[in-house]
Amino acid sequence: MFHNAMILRTEILKHIIAFRSKINQYLLSVLVIGLTTLVCSPLSNTPGYYVVSLILLFVVSTLATFLRIGPVLLASSLSALVWNFFFIPPHFTFHIEKADDILMFFMFFIIALLNGILTTRIKHQEQLAHEREERTNALFHLTRELSKASGIDEVLASAIDIIKTHFSLNTSFILQDGDNVLKRSKRLPQQIKMSDEEYEIAIWSFNNKQKAGKQTSNFSNTTHTFYPLLGVRINPGVAIYYSDVLFTAEQEAFHDAAFMLISNALEREFLGELVQKSRVLDESDKLYKTLFNSISHELRIPVATILGASDTLITGLHPENVQSALHNEIFTASLRLNRLIENLLNMSRLESGHITPRLDWCDVNDLINKVSQDLKEELKPFNLLVSIPENMPLLKIDFGLMEQVLYNLLINACEHAPVTSNIWIKTYAIEDEIFIEILDRGPGFTNEAMKNLFNKFFRVEGNKSGGLGLGLSIVKGFVEANKGSVTVENRKKGGARFIIRIPSMQHEIKNLSLENL
Amino acid sequence: MSESETILIIDDEVQIRRLLEITLSASGYKIIDAPTGKEGLIVAATHHPSLIILDLGLPDIDGHEILKKLREWFYKPIIILSVRNSETEIIKALDNGANDYLTKPFRSGELLARIRVALRSGETKSDDAILDFNDLSIDIVNHIAKKGGEILKLTSTEFSLLSLLAKNQGRVLTHQHILKEVWGYGYIEQTQYLRVFVAQLRKKIEADPSKPKLLITESGIGYRFG
Repeated sequence: MFHNAMILRTEILKHIIAFRSKINQYLLSVLVIGLTTLVCSPLSNTPGYYVVSLILLFVVSTLATFLRIGPVLLASSLSALVWNFFFIPPHFTFHIEKADDILMFFMFFIIALLNGILTTRIKHQEQLAHEREERTNALFHLTRELSKASGIDEVLASAIDIIKTHFSLNTSFILQDGDNVLKRSKRLPQQIKMSDEEYEIAIWSFNNKQKAGKQTSNFSNTTHTFYPLLGVRINPGVAIYYSDVLFTAEQEAFHDAAFMLISNALEREFLGELVQKSRVLDESDKLYKTLFNSISHELRIPVATILGASDTLITGLHPENVQSALHNEIFTASLRLNRLIENLLNMSRLESGHITPRLDWCDVNDLINKVSQDLKEELKPFNLLVSIPENMPLLKIDFGLMEQVLYNLLINACEHAPVTSNIWIKTYAIEDEIFIEILDRGPGFTNEAMKNLFNKFFRVEGNKSGGLGLGLSIVKGFVEANKGSVTVENRKKGGARFIIRIPSMQHEIKNLSLENL
Repeated sequence: MSESETILIIDDEVQIRRLLEITLSASGYKIIDAPTGKEGLIVAATHHPSLIILDLGLPDIDGHEILKKLREWFYKPIIILSVRNSETEIIKALDNGANDYLTKPFRSGELLARIRVALRSGETKSDDAILDFNDLSIDIVNHIAKKGGEILKLTSTEFSLLSLLAKNQGRVLTHQHILKEVWGYGYIEQTQYLRVFVAQLRKKIEADPSKPKLLITESGIGYRFG
């Protein structure tokens, strides 16, 4: 409201100044002609009165360079009369005796008028050219401004800014949702509330591609004005002007040009966003398909085993050793199925960002015991070595996550290391870090594999042990959730070495004095 | 096995109920079951089972609510069997009075072992002055613990910890519960104390402290004795 009042006041002021300057200009021309007459008065009785006519003509054309057409016409008529009255004999009458003086007088009158008119016209054209240039400059500036802005929000911000500085208007924009439906909540600034009626008008304006609201022929009884943003391929939305829109013809032309630039810039961003969206969709679609294929494949194998084995068990009587073999198959398949599901769940937890590690003090012995207990069967064919220094500090970790990490690494080792080889879990602390290493004597990794090892769905080529390629990416995700890092390297005499580093957080328990407890 | 014990299964999944019935019946238990929380509460009140196996994700009432309602009068063991495997969920159930917690999918052997331990602890939960575990004996009244006949040198905190765990043999005690009982309310967050003392205690009572058989860690949740 305050702002509107300000605008109104400056408008009135402008009019007053313009009005005053008009009067001043007439006074000025009268004054200048009067002064010239006074200056030239000594020449009145001499034959030099022709010179006076030239002087007066000069003065009129000088005036014409900076006065409006009205005062210039006044000056030219006045100078003709003055010349006649004071200088053409007989003096102090409008009567002219000599025929050549009469001719002279009319010539003077016409030349003075023409002179005045032509000069002001040139001046006017010059001014128009200047204004045009200014507008072009402004539009150029605007184009640059808009092209610099990237993203819909930036474009909108600079559009609001432009309209504010060039037209002193408050605006906001409401945009469509990508399916040609104007969305009420989209991009309208929080603090601005939009009534249902206004929303209706905006929708009308959007659908009919026409101005609406105050000072237009549609819905003119509201307080705002609605301008549809018209693009070439899609219409981004509607601009709402909160102040009165009172344009001169030139301003309107400038506004329309600026508005078109804004519409185009918004359309550009809109299309960009759509392309981006469809690209993301495309990618996630691809990922989805890969995921789906590998999951259905991986799930089908254990399910097929269970189905087949249990079917055999149900349908016939078999010797005890066959039965127990089948039972074992079912059991192994269900373990595998369970592991797959566990990995999928963990991956989806990681992906959705729902992992909030509960960091708590743990004994590394507990951690390794738990995992080696869970993998008792799998580890049987191997020689498991565990080395934990006597004075190993406590670890501040999420036990569950870290358990999964070791589980996945050990399962990998079991799947790839030759039977009866050593699998070594080594833990130690150096300064502020705690290290957990898992070492095996498997084939290790090629350089190529090493790069992608921790990526989702990456599987080493020729890997016969199946799996989704999620295990190591879960390891990485979970270790990072524990504020640690994991790396891998090949061992000199063959095999892989996974190194987990976790900050020891020892400073947190330094003050722990057992005597006091 | 003593007189066949009755076990109540409250679970809405038919297949799980059927599997449990087959497995547990084969081990000599008498099985009754209920597919909803409401029915479960009624059956528990009318049949007085020796143990209840409770699922948390029931269709009518949340498992935690049923657990609380049951614990108002039911003092025998309750084992939770649920797909919910978050530590907070488990701790909540244990704090609400569950004796044990097993996540689905589970191994039947594991479940049977837990049931046996729970039933046994239900029997011995008298105020025995002396608790015996193989070669370890704990004299609660006189504050003496012996291993293989030899008196163990335990600090008073170590003894409190040991006797608390031993008295609740077979039951998972959460970190918070132990800290509260042994150290007091102010120490409820100080899990590092607990870790240190458990490690010390293991060195004294376990044959191989790095592979504990008595003082067992329940990852991220607490400890269990025996």
